Amino acid sequence: MNSLILSYITFVYFAAFFFYLLMMVMGKGVFGKIATTICVLGLAGHIFAIVLRWIESYDLGIGHAPFSNLYESLIFFSFTIILLYLIVEWRTKNRTLGTFVTPLASLAMAYASFSPNISSRIQPLVPALKSNWLITHVITCFFGYAAFGLSFGLGLMYLLKLLDHDGKSGIFLRLIPGKAILDELNYQMVVIGFLMLTLGIITGSVWAHSAWGSYWSWDPKETWSLITWFIYAAVLHSRLVHGWRGKKIAILCMIGFSCVLFTYFGVNYLAGLHSYGKS
Amino acid sequence: MTASENPRTQNPVWRFFCSVRLTIVLLIILALVSIVGTLIPQQQGSMAFARNLRPGTLKIFLFFDLFDIYHAIWFRFLIGILALNLITCSINRFPGIWKRFSALPRPDRQRPFEGLPDELTIATPGQAEAVAKDVEHFFRKKYKRVRSKASGNIHYLYGERGRFAHFGFYLVHLSILIILVGAIVGSLFGFEAYVNIVEGGETAFVNRTKNMDRIPLGFTIRCDRFTVDFYENGTPKEYRSDLTFLADGKVLEKKSALVNHPAHFHGITFYQANYGTVVGDRARLKIIRKTSKPATTAVEVKKGESIQLPGGEGHFQVADIRENFMNMGPALLIRVHPDGGQEKSFWVFQDRPEIEKRFPGLTRKFSKLNPSAFKPYTFIIEKLDTRYYTGLQVAKDPGVALVWAGCFLMVGGFFITFFMSHRRIWVRVAPGEKHTLVSVAGSTSKNPVGLERELEHLSRSLEEHLTRKGRKVS
Repeated sequence: MNSLILSYITFVYFAAFFFYLLMMVMGKGVFGKIATTICVLGLAGHIFAIVLRWIESYDLGIGHAPFSNLYESLIFFSFTIILLYLIVEWRTKNRTLGTFVTPLASLAMAYASFSPNISSRIQPLVPALKSNWLITHVITCFFGYAAFGLSFGLGLMYLLKLLDHDGKSGIFLRLIPGKAILDELNYQMVVIGFLMLTLGIITGSVWAHSAWGSYWSWDPKETWSLITWFIYAAVLHSRLVHGWRGKKIAILCMIGFSCVLFTYFGVNYLAGLHSYGKS
Repeated sequence: MTASENPRTQNPVWRFFCSVRLTIVLLIILALVSIVGTLIPQQQGSMAFARNLRPGTLKIFLFFDLFDIYHAIWFRFLIGILALNLITCSINRFPGIWKRFSALPRPDRQRPFEGLPDELTIATPGQAEAVAKDVEHFFRKKYKRVRSKASGNIHYLYGERGRFAHFGFYLVHLSILIILVGAIVGSLFGFEAYVNIVEGGETAFVNRTKNMDRIPLGFTIRCDRFTVDFYENGTPKEYRSDLTFLADGKVLEKKSALVNHPAHFHGITFYQANYGTVVGDRARLKIIRKTSKPATTAVEVKKGESIQLPGGEGHFQVADIRENFMNMGPALLIRVHPDGGQEKSFWVFQDRPEIEKRFPGLTRKFSKLNPSAFKPYTFIIEKLDTRYYTGLQVAKDPGVALVWAGCFLMVGGFFITFFMSHRRIWVRVAPGEKHTLVSVAGSTSKNPVGLERELEHLSRSLEEHLTRKGRKVS
């Protein structure tokens, strides 16, 4: 039942993307309002389905928070992206970022719901996952990923905005906020993402200390999260101390997000301890 | 602060280590090297990979420690350089930071008020001096290091808050150093090891994971019981070892190790890592004596115990029990001592029918493998007693507390660095044409939007305060 609702939400987010795009292409604010409404409704359904899944797991007698495998993590990833985006939209009163972020959420949902390799069944927790750290670790990591996802969208917008010379280009580029605003917002996303990633790594190593016998074992997922951390640490230093702005930061953020994606998905193709996220 | 403001920058070595460019380059190099480490199988996993390499390539791999990158000397060297870079950067920036931390600007500075938006100025009736007194009273409650100054009939106030935010990044840098020290302490004074203990068995030694050295524990650990629970669908639910810690035969403590809940004893931690089964020293045998009636006798035997043969021809014993004999599964060795005859010993396999299928005639051909070698008897294993052993990972890491302290400090440092700022606020109370004008202005170390919001808030609360004091603000 919950997975059926979740598979529909894929299309809800796609519809939101469609209207955000329409707003950008036609230049009509009303489409933006429709898109936001769809997004909020989608998020409400999304939360409902996650809670439902949580309750269903208890009805099956194997109750646990729905953060235990690739399916559930993708669902949660998509949720964090939309939630964080809506907060940013509300704070900045600007909807253009939606065009670049809703496809990420929709893709994550589609991958979870329609990939033949991913089972949406609720499975019991293996002993290694039975820990109070599961919830904190997953929440911090995925809010970090979501913030980096938004930063990726903002970086992309920045690079597109570079094509806009003196407002002479199409409405699409003109609607994208000014470069300074994008840069500042991107910095804020990187800060949130970096803090969350740090918390995610720390909670993960506290957990690993009690589950695997060592707070750091250079498992590929650990290593890749550290690689991501290095990249964003470089972003922050180059901005705060070295004074880099704009294009270089935007490109670094896009590299950073590709590391995030590899930490999330790519690592599954390497051998390691973190095998829960594979299917 | 730019590097040129510091006299130490004359020294090229110092300049090299305190450059942020070095930090960025090091972070990127560390990222790239770590990527290589996730692509090449490391440590135990590298054997199969190494076998497929050409000898020349293998030499290069071994020379650069590419099968254990994260513990290689050069990797540690890189981290050492990063630590050095971090320390020099921190020292180098200190004078500038201290200046900004301790500087107390004049209250009557004019620059902050240039280009001030109108909404940050409020007009109120009354003498400037009286208004200034009210404002100062209010202002002192909200800001630190407040200074006031009057020049003519214009009154100035200066106050600030959050000046410790300048040191936030020091906490972060310090936390990284503490974590590194914790890691070093762990690797110098700690160990990682493993041990397998059969249910009922005990040991006073564990095996170092790296080189299988035997490490004495200083006490004895016994596994009383190992249990594994399964869910209905057959996936494992819980592994549990009930352990007893002893010294000189006296029980000191009993504890259980579960996945995610290790057992701690005397600074050493025991983690439930894996398990398996071994054959025990008991078995149930079926002995067939063709000429007797009834032909079959069932006996419970214990390894080494001498038992009379059902027909009374003599005694036999189970001399050995093997988990997997000659790769044909569990087997036990029967040794028969007939009264006044030649001793005879032979192996009995548990899966005899299966072995007959795979190697027809094998057991008849070799009397050592023939369960009917002592006539007229045939021995059959009905049940072999198996016992669980628990696989424990054993670790001692006195550096862990430092690592956690570093983590705490890092998160705290991040909050200070990213979310707090040093805000300096100026207030000017000056007589206008009809009213007295109160303006607020400020500067901040970061987050200009936050400062704007604070100034608007301050202006509004001053308005309320003055209204409450009976000065109707227009």
